Amino acid sequence: MSTNIDHIKEEHHHQPSGLMRWITTTNHKDIGSLYLWFSLLMFFIGGFMALIIRAELFQPGLQLVVPGFFNQMTTMHALIMIFGALMPAFVGLANWQLPMMIGAPDMALPRLNNWSFWILPFAFAMLISTLFFESGGPAAGWTLYPPLSLQGGNSMPFVIFSLHLLGASSILGAINVIATILNMRAPGMTLMKMPIFVWTWLITAFLLIAAMPVLAGAITMLLTDRFYGTSFFTAAGGGDPVLFQHIFWFFGHPEVYILILPAFGIISTIIPAFSRKKLFGYDSMVYATASIALLSFIVWAHHMFTVGMPLAGEIFFMFTTMLIAVPTGVKVFNWVATMWKGSMTFETPMLFSLAFIILFTIGGFSGLMLAITPADFQYHDTYFVVAHFHYVLVPGAIFAVIAAVYYWLPKWTGKMYNETLGKVHFWMTTVFVNITFFPMHFVGLAGMPRRIPDYAVQFTDFNMIASVGAFGFGLSQLLFVYILFQTLRQPVTAADKSWEGAEGLEWTLPSPAPYHSFDTPPKVD
Amino acid sequence: MASVRSTITKLSIVVVAMYGFSYALVPIYDTFCEITGLNGKTNDVAYTGNDIKKENRFVKIKFISNVANSAPLYFEPAVTEMTVQVGKPYNTHYVMKNNSSKQLHTTASPSVTPGKYAEYFKKIECFCFNQQTINSGEIKDLGIQFVVDDDLPTNIGDIVLSYTMFDITNNVMESSKL
Repeated sequence: MSTNIDHIKEEHHHQPSGLMRWITTTNHKDIGSLYLWFSLLMFFIGGFMALIIRAELFQPGLQLVVPGFFNQMTTMHALIMIFGALMPAFVGLANWQLPMMIGAPDMALPRLNNWSFWILPFAFAMLISTLFFESGGPAAGWTLYPPLSLQGGNSMPFVIFSLHLLGASSILGAINVIATILNMRAPGMTLMKMPIFVWTWLITAFLLIAAMPVLAGAITMLLTDRFYGTSFFTAAGGGDPVLFQHIFWFFGHPEVYILILPAFGIISTIIPAFSRKKLFGYDSMVYATASIALLSFIVWAHHMFTVGMPLAGEIFFMFTTMLIAVPTGVKVFNWVATMWKGSMTFETPMLFSLAFIILFTIGGFSGLMLAITPADFQYHDTYFVVAHFHYVLVPGAIFAVIAAVYYWLPKWTGKMYNETLGKVHFWMTTVFVNITFFPMHFVGLAGMPRRIPDYAVQFTDFNMIASVGAFGFGLSQLLFVYILFQTLRQPVTAADKSWEGAEGLEWTLPSPAPYHSFDTPPKVD
Repeated sequence: MASVRSTITKLSIVVVAMYGFSYALVPIYDTFCEITGLNGKTNDVAYTGNDIKKENRFVKIKFISNVANSAPLYFEPAVTEMTVQVGKPYNTHYVMKNNSSKQLHTTASPSVTPGKYAEYFKKIECFCFNQQTINSGEIKDLGIQFVVDDDLPTNIGDIVLSYTMFDITNNVMESSKL
């Protein structure tokens, strides 16, 4: 019945059709879909750049690209994957899920929501266009360290302006998320009754609001150093390049938790659903997430142990970094305890979540190794670091996004994906992700530096294995796209509650979810 | 929705404050480095005090030089090391030659290693307090007068004084155009 009412409403709204519907939409589901499709597109563009990198590194020597272009690829791959693929994917999931999960009709600021999304295509068009400049795109690494970034070509102001736009988009999105969660919850839903995904996004949004303006400040200083004669970071005028690293990582470390906390929320939603048990230790999950967020602001200098810090500083940053393992350990413990004696089944979202727990933990452990200051002098700027952060971001954050898409796809579309193909996708992805990134630990420990187009011959074997894995991983994701389109062509058959063990307000809505989520707030006991 | 509006206002204040904080980090960092003696920054205005007493102990000072970004300059210390008496003023100089075919503007940035002894190395006069203008082919002696503070801890190794010379001709030209 409610579907009928919604149909009448939609007609009543006189929505523009075709392209204008998507440009002018203020609906949280439309905008969520836009974010997710955009993120998928960026994932493939960034992935294509990664394959250029891996193709060049298949064997030592220079085969395919010149070193300058190689450096542009490493820089752009990182910027596109972080700001284009992962962050928009999580914002897209937030748009789709938050109003449904808290029993609200839409986001608190729908028009702002539209703006947050539509800034992105322009920012990325500008960022990617720099690759076609005569002087090429940015090549100083995504961290934009001066003095190198100040000496780059004409791309620099364009990159900085696009980063400003991306930051503005994220801040607007974060304000919207916080305003929605704090003001629009269904009656009876106290903070400690919120679904855990809502909690992790609330904390992530606060991190965004605190960290993104600092990035904006840092890159504005770079801009004025280059064009307006200031000397924040130019040594000739009394500035200090190391200062940039401090400011950048004061943003940068919260940023990496912005990329992982929503993933924690997704895993904490899916594991209970397929274990048919309540999440173990809900309260401790909330407090662990909050402590990780707070600690992220006092650990930044572990990214720069080798710049020359006083011993007291190195010890401080070493111990605070290791402290983060405690709340993270609480989370992993809770996930395992949730599964303990549960009636588990292994559908695709659950498989991705299980792989997340194991592989993210590997990434966490290599992070602990990097936190050991004396050992870090060996690992710093090697492939070991590359292996570490790819383990937390690919089988970590990206697996969580894929799991979330499989888990909520029946709710979004009313259609069930092909379970067999989903499992094939899972196994191919998981096998290839390990073939790609596990060997990087070994070459890193043996001393292969990151961000180089050529390497010493003793690293050849492991690099060949990693390159084969990377192409396998890339091809497996084409299967993901196939599964998505195949699902969209199905007739609507999914049940309102698509998964037996699923909990939460979104499953009380029909599938596909109606255009406006909850016109009358549901009652939460 | 008054409550939504108040949430937005509060969050916007946080955004602006954090942007301001990124700029506040600049003086905080400088102060922090000054207190901890990090980065080996030395005094950038001339030392004029007279409370340093001569002591009967000696320390070896080594002089090194760098030219930033391969600027067309010859820049070397006249003597590469001196054994100096603590508390007694000394003079030395660096030699710079302009190897290019045009007039250059330069500035030098000093640094002392180990950084924690930087505060005991007092410069009474130094070319690094000013910028230099040097004609094509010209050779200049750039003088330093310094004294080692008698508060310097005992039983330390050598102190290294390094200067990096920057060619800032483009910056000077641009600002004179404005």
